[in-house]
Amino acid sequence: MAEKGEIVIDDDLCKGCGLCEFFCNKECISMGKLGPGGFPIAYISNPENCIGCGICGWMCPDMAIEAYKYVSGRS
Amino acid sequence: MSQETAMIKKVVCKKPEFRMLPLGFCAGCHYGTIYRLIDEVLEEMDLKGNAILIGGGGCSTLGAMAMNIDSFGGPHGPGTAIASALSRVNKDALIFAVQGDGEQGAIGLGNFVATAVRGENITVITMNNACYGMTGGQLAPTTLLGMVTPTTPTGRDKKETGSPLHGPELVAPLEGVAYAARGTVHSFANRQKSKKMLKNAFQIQQKKLGFGVLEFLSACPTNWKLKSVDCIKFIEDKMLPEFPLGEFKNIDKKKE
Amino acid sequence: MTEKILCTGNDAVARAAISAGCKHFFAYPITPQSEIGQYMARELPKIGGCFLQSEGEYAAGYMVLGAALSGERVMTATSSPGIALMQEPLSMMMTAEIPAVVVDTQRLGPGTGTGGQQGQTDYTYLTRGVFGDLRYPVFAPYSVSEVYEYVQLAFHIADKYRVLSMVLNDFVLARMTEYLELKTFDFGSLPEKEWALKGSANKGGRSDLLFTVTGFMIDIPGFFVQQKIKSDKIMESEIRYDTYKTEDAELILVAYGYTARVAKNAVNLAREKGIKVGMFRPISLWPFPKQALHDTAAKAGKVLVVEDGPGGGFIDDVELSVKGKASINFLGIQARHTFRPEGLIFPERILQEVRELL
Repeated sequence: MAEKGEIVIDDDLCKGCGLCEFFCNKECISMGKLGPGGFPIAYISNPENCIGCGICGWMCPDMAIEAYKYVSGRS
Repeated sequence: MSQETAMIKKVVCKKPEFRMLPLGFCAGCHYGTIYRLIDEVLEEMDLKGNAILIGGGGCSTLGAMAMNIDSFGGPHGPGTAIASALSRVNKDALIFAVQGDGEQGAIGLGNFVATAVRGENITVITMNNACYGMTGGQLAPTTLLGMVTPTTPTGRDKKETGSPLHGPELVAPLEGVAYAARGTVHSFANRQKSKKMLKNAFQIQQKKLGFGVLEFLSACPTNWKLKSVDCIKFIEDKMLPEFPLGEFKNIDKKKE
Repeated sequence: MTEKILCTGNDAVARAAISAGCKHFFAYPITPQSEIGQYMARELPKIGGCFLQSEGEYAAGYMVLGAALSGERVMTATSSPGIALMQEPLSMMMTAEIPAVVVDTQRLGPGTGTGGQQGQTDYTYLTRGVFGDLRYPVFAPYSVSEVYEYVQLAFHIADKYRVLSMVLNDFVLARMTEYLELKTFDFGSLPEKEWALKGSANKGGRSDLLFTVTGFMIDIPGFFVQQKIKSDKIMESEIRYDTYKTEDAELILVAYGYTARVAKNAVNLAREKGIKVGMFRPISLWPFPKQALHDTAAKAGKVLVVEDGPGGGFIDDVELSVKGKASINFLGIQARHTFRPEGLIFPERILQEVRELL
């Protein structure tokens, strides 16, 4: 079963640099959403592609992304 | 057997504990990525409570405001002298000085080399963007040949201002230097390699083996006048040929 | 019964620092005070302290800053050209309120002067504070005993107010040998240094930031208001001066440092001849004892400022204090007995000047 992940982008911290879009291997992220600062920021354009690798989070210079992965576990 | 296997949401990458966010760096600058990396390594090595950051002057001071460890920030150049003295008075702390390539290679060069000569048990983390960032991208000792800056408007000319300085390589031959390396965070693979180098550098300080310097090539979209993504290419195509990556010296390296 | 030894001014600086609990010293050799570093190099390792010879005075200033971040008492010592190089780190320390003691064993300036011999040309530079218009206490002892006392006091004041504390020594005092009673002074208790950088693990998880880029972090006018409150407190409580035979004097000699020793002899010579002269000796050059000098000078009516230099800030401060209530005259470096480097102002020369004025 393909891994499933989820990311959360903090709009207040995103400076719109575009590195997350560049580093994402699954094309989950796009630039262009109007952010609270009045400039384009990142947004999750294809959440279903996310595998929760975390690379966007680690490569974001502004700590704006938190990444999660869904793993099997006892309920 | 019960098939009650629900999906649990596991944290893969969480927001680090910083004193102040957002950071003061430009969009696309790699300082933030590197500070996050330092924070991660300090946490993993359980050194965060013992760490003291000596920030420099210029962009290098902005991290001192933000990292949630004891920090000092401000003066341009003498971070190595400050860290030297503090490390002698506080022998248990993990002390690291963050410097720009400009302040280290010019005004602070005397301190940098003298500290390496003395073999002080500190770690210097250099942020190399091949110019003076905070002041507008002027010529730095590391500026590439041909690179246009406000003080080399026709491009750096070897006959006028020499060739790029290589900080870690300069001091690596000195007896007092235990670790000298260069890494980047311009790809995830390099980020992970740099993480290992950072761990090596901190371990060497813990073992009191001598002076350690880890230089990071860092993007500077504002002064390079490139988009963040194009900065990645600039590092790959223009900086790597001049500034090789890897460990130039590691006296703690396990023999194969 | 405290021990009494023969001691030079330089050694007294070192001994005083150690008596005050300072175990860390960073400096660069420079005439006429390299002996302080040499004493520290011998003695500090014995008490588990740190002596480090830096790569220059700029580095020494920053090393003091670095070591002081830990909360420990630290000191550097240099001479006039070195103080010039230290201006940046001293200003940084004043901005981040990191306490430290600096000893300036002044020598003749400007430039390299006579290569390290007597002169009093640092007054203006030191008393006008660091760049950024923040002033720090400056004490000018005039005997080996005073050197010993005021270096200890400097540590207390530095910690009490979180400020730089400067002791202005000089070539003559540094080289002079006198009897010194090895007293350890107790100036009172001081609060804990909560601000020190020791690692957040040692502070219940709290991390602190000491910062010289104040404009990024705090209310800028507020910063200067706080500094003024501090400086007012120092001006109120830390003035030091001495008077000698001024009660009935018709002329007051005003001098500090080794020139004050000479001036004291001149007073004695004058008194033998029935001339009513006294001496006012500021010990704290900043805060300057303005009121005390004003009252002493006004009573006498005539003032002769004696300084082994061309005259500058010292005359200004005397004029500011006296506010026209007495005539002010100056006897400076031109009064030396020879134009050569070994020139000194002798008591007889001061007496000659006094006679002409009275």
